[in-house]
Amino acid sequence: MSFDTERSSTDTLVSGDSSTRELVSGGLVALSFASFTVGLLALFQYLPADTPVAGTTVSTLLGAALTVVGTGVVVLGAASYGGLFETEPGHTGGLASAVFVGALWFAVGGLVGAQTLGLSTAWPVVALLTGGVGAAVALVAREDLGVTLSAGLFVLLSGLVVVTGLVGPGWRWGPENFSVVLTGAVGVPVIALFAGLVGAWTAARVYGGFGPQGRQTGAYVLVGTNAAGMLALLVSVVGFIAVRGFGPMTEGIKYGLFWGPWTWFNPPLVDTWVILEGPIVWFYWPFVMEGYTTVGSGIDGILPAIVGTVWLVVGAVALAVPLGVGAALFLTEYADEGRFTSLVEISTNGLWSTPSIVYGLFGLAFFVPRLGNTNSLLAGQLVLGFMLLPLVVITSRESLKSVPDEYRDASAALGVSKWETIKSVVLPASLPGVITGIILGIGRIAGETAPILLVTTSDPFPAEVAGVIQGGFRFTSAFPFVAVPDVNLVQSSSALPYQLFAVIGAGLGENLDFAWGTALVLLLVVMSFYAVGVASRIYFRRKLDQ
Amino acid sequence: MSVATRLGGLDRNSRIVGGIGTVLLTLTILSFLVAPALTGYLAVAFALFVAGSYVVDEENTARFLLFVTTTSTVLILAFITVYLLVNAVPVVREMGLYLLVGSDPFWDTSANTYSLVPMMWGTFVTTIIAALVAAPLGVAGAVFISEIAPGWAREIVKPAVEMLAGIPSIVYGFIGYTLINPFMQGELSLPDYGSLFVTGLVIGIMALPTVVSVAEDAIASVPDAMKNGAGALGATDWQTTTSVTLPAAFSGISAAVLLGVGRAVGETMAATVILGNVTNLPDPLMDVFGNTITLTSLIASQYGAASGLQFSALFAAGVVLFVTVMGFSIGSQLIERRMRQRLGGEQ
Repeated sequence: MSFDTERSSTDTLVSGDSSTRELVSGGLVALSFASFTVGLLALFQYLPADTPVAGTTVSTLLGAALTVVGTGVVVLGAASYGGLFETEPGHTGGLASAVFVGALWFAVGGLVGAQTLGLSTAWPVVALLTGGVGAAVALVAREDLGVTLSAGLFVLLSGLVVVTGLVGPGWRWGPENFSVVLTGAVGVPVIALFAGLVGAWTAARVYGGFGPQGRQTGAYVLVGTNAAGMLALLVSVVGFIAVRGFGPMTEGIKYGLFWGPWTWFNPPLVDTWVILEGPIVWFYWPFVMEGYTTVGSGIDGILPAIVGTVWLVVGAVALAVPLGVGAALFLTEYADEGRFTSLVEISTNGLWSTPSIVYGLFGLAFFVPRLGNTNSLLAGQLVLGFMLLPLVVITSRESLKSVPDEYRDASAALGVSKWETIKSVVLPASLPGVITGIILGIGRIAGETAPILLVTTSDPFPAEVAGVIQGGFRFTSAFPFVAVPDVNLVQSSSALPYQLFAVIGAGLGENLDFAWGTALVLLLVVMSFYAVGVASRIYFRRKLDQ
Repeated sequence: MSVATRLGGLDRNSRIVGGIGTVLLTLTILSFLVAPALTGYLAVAFALFVAGSYVVDEENTARFLLFVTTTSTVLILAFITVYLLVNAVPVVREMGLYLLVGSDPFWDTSANTYSLVPMMWGTFVTTIIAALVAAPLGVAGAVFISEIAPGWAREIVKPAVEMLAGIPSIVYGFIGYTLINPFMQGELSLPDYGSLFVTGLVIGIMALPTVVSVAEDAIASVPDAMKNGAGALGATDWQTTTSVTLPAAFSGISAAVLLGVGRAVGETMAATVILGNVTNLPDPLMDVFGNTITLTSLIASQYGAASGLQFSALFAAGVVLFVTVMGFSIGSQLIERRMRQRLGGEQ
């Protein structure tokens, strides 16, 4: 905050100068980001590097832009060193910056040594030499000269290499001992990505006027880009699957209003049927309402997988929630800090980090032989419940801890017993947090593949839903006059994440669209749990802060 | 304090409830181990006893039940450990140290020779690549959320990172399999379908949200007084971050990275789907664009056809995984405990 006022006071002292610097360096930052973005598009072949644009190619344009940025940064640094701009450079570029720039020049030296000079074993010497010089320049020279020179020359060099076509369409390099061949289609975008970031960082440093303020601006540019990258990652993963999966998922949906009979009855005295008719909504969504068609040309569906996932989640929640909430209650309300609580804490965290495939192995060795010696829904429910347990314990505990002690004291002062207090005061107060934790946990186990792969699934393309409940409640003539439905959890079933794995395992081929559709449904199911969990957490936290 | 004096501290009712309840529950669990057919009856007996005792003495029964649920995490972890170890014993007895240091042939089911070296190498390389991706980007993300972002940006990025944690691993694997693998083969002329490099990259992205969330907690737990002190001395926000906040939160951040690395070690489906799962070392060894197998993908890709010694070898792989991840987990907890002590109290 204090620096803003300080800078405005310098602005009034030297008008004009710093605004030119800000204008030029701001332009260079923008140009760097443009190169970065185009490089990203080129890397993913949306805009291949050899695409012709206005008489030249994307590759050449990228090289030109980087050349401009590199030159501009060096010139700005020199101008600042020469006193043309009012800046506050430090006497050194700083150790962190020097290491960063040194690493860049190390890479340049290594690549030149290995590729251009063809040194198979001596390239580290060249790399260390260039890296050392690059770092030393940034470290020893005054900040505005050292950092801009070292980083700017790197950008300039990258630009020149690309603009001259040294690395361009047609360039190929197969590094020794690596089974990979780099081509211009990948090399140019990668150079643009790196040099673009370095250019943006250096130009932002100039924009901030060097010194602490400049370093801050430079660092914020990089950190902000990283955060934007994470957002872009989320959007592109979800968006890509949505685009590819929407068609297959919604294929063959039929719906409409039909005129049909609502109900009919035969009133006494009148010897005719009275039929009440009206519009009936009819909806048919084959992808989620059907199984995999074994014969014929029907639309393949994933209903068995959806039903399997529902059963797995229900069972896991029924097992883990009472255990987890109970454990959290005991730890916060009854237990004193001591050896027992730390043992429980260590095992809870241990369970949290235990890999899912290890849970699967455990289920395979422990539950499967004891539960009918077959892969079964029940084994999957137990194993997933075990995976859910630590999540429930950790989040419930957090939530219980945040219940103010005044609540407990007030209840105790009324002469209410401890368990009664917990039941009627503590638990209700912490319920939002507990439920949020459970929802997030469900999101995690609903997408878990490895354990159910080992203990629950058998048929990769099920046509039929696992019939867990057979028969219904009905009255019978024999004692006890009612028949309850048969619940059979000891049978194998599919599940959404397994369905996706099974398609991949069977070779995608003609099932590619089916796989994208499955991926989209899985993502929708899991993400909606996460969205609800995250949103409710934000909502309740905001309510708590009020 | 001995058990006897502890029990002495409880009154007579709670001793009766706890004693009978514990016996019944122990019987139930034991019966599941040796005679699963009896378990149902014993469980019903336990439930009836608990219900009855809840009617008579609500307070003590509730306390006993909550205690039982608390021991469940410890019990489950103990069962997992025991069953992994017991099932791994045959292969350890047969192969001995060859399991960990053996050379060619590494994994030959016809000769019943098993060595986990390629799998451990695969896990090691993918984890290193994943850590190189997840650690710097994750810490930068955490710094952004807790120190740099203006309010509106935080409201977007933080939930987005949490949503990112929700994308199932098989979906990442599917994307790697259908998009990145063909890309690497087409544009970079990789000889095989799948490589350690792509696997490590994808796993790193998957471990990213864990690192961000835990590191953000650590950074947020640095007391405001420390940061304000730096600000009062005229430091910029970034100077405060690098010279006060990050050093103070250093142990918490390392715990976050350790947890992220632990996640990366145990990641199964992405590795199974993306890698070629050949049970040999890449040639040459350092070729990160080569193909091999990880401990996790070994289990996921071979459990179906395995029996006898091979089955036991899969459990040995599970033991190696389990021990590694436990090490990371306990290490990160120790670091976190030290951090809490250093920052003083529950701040």
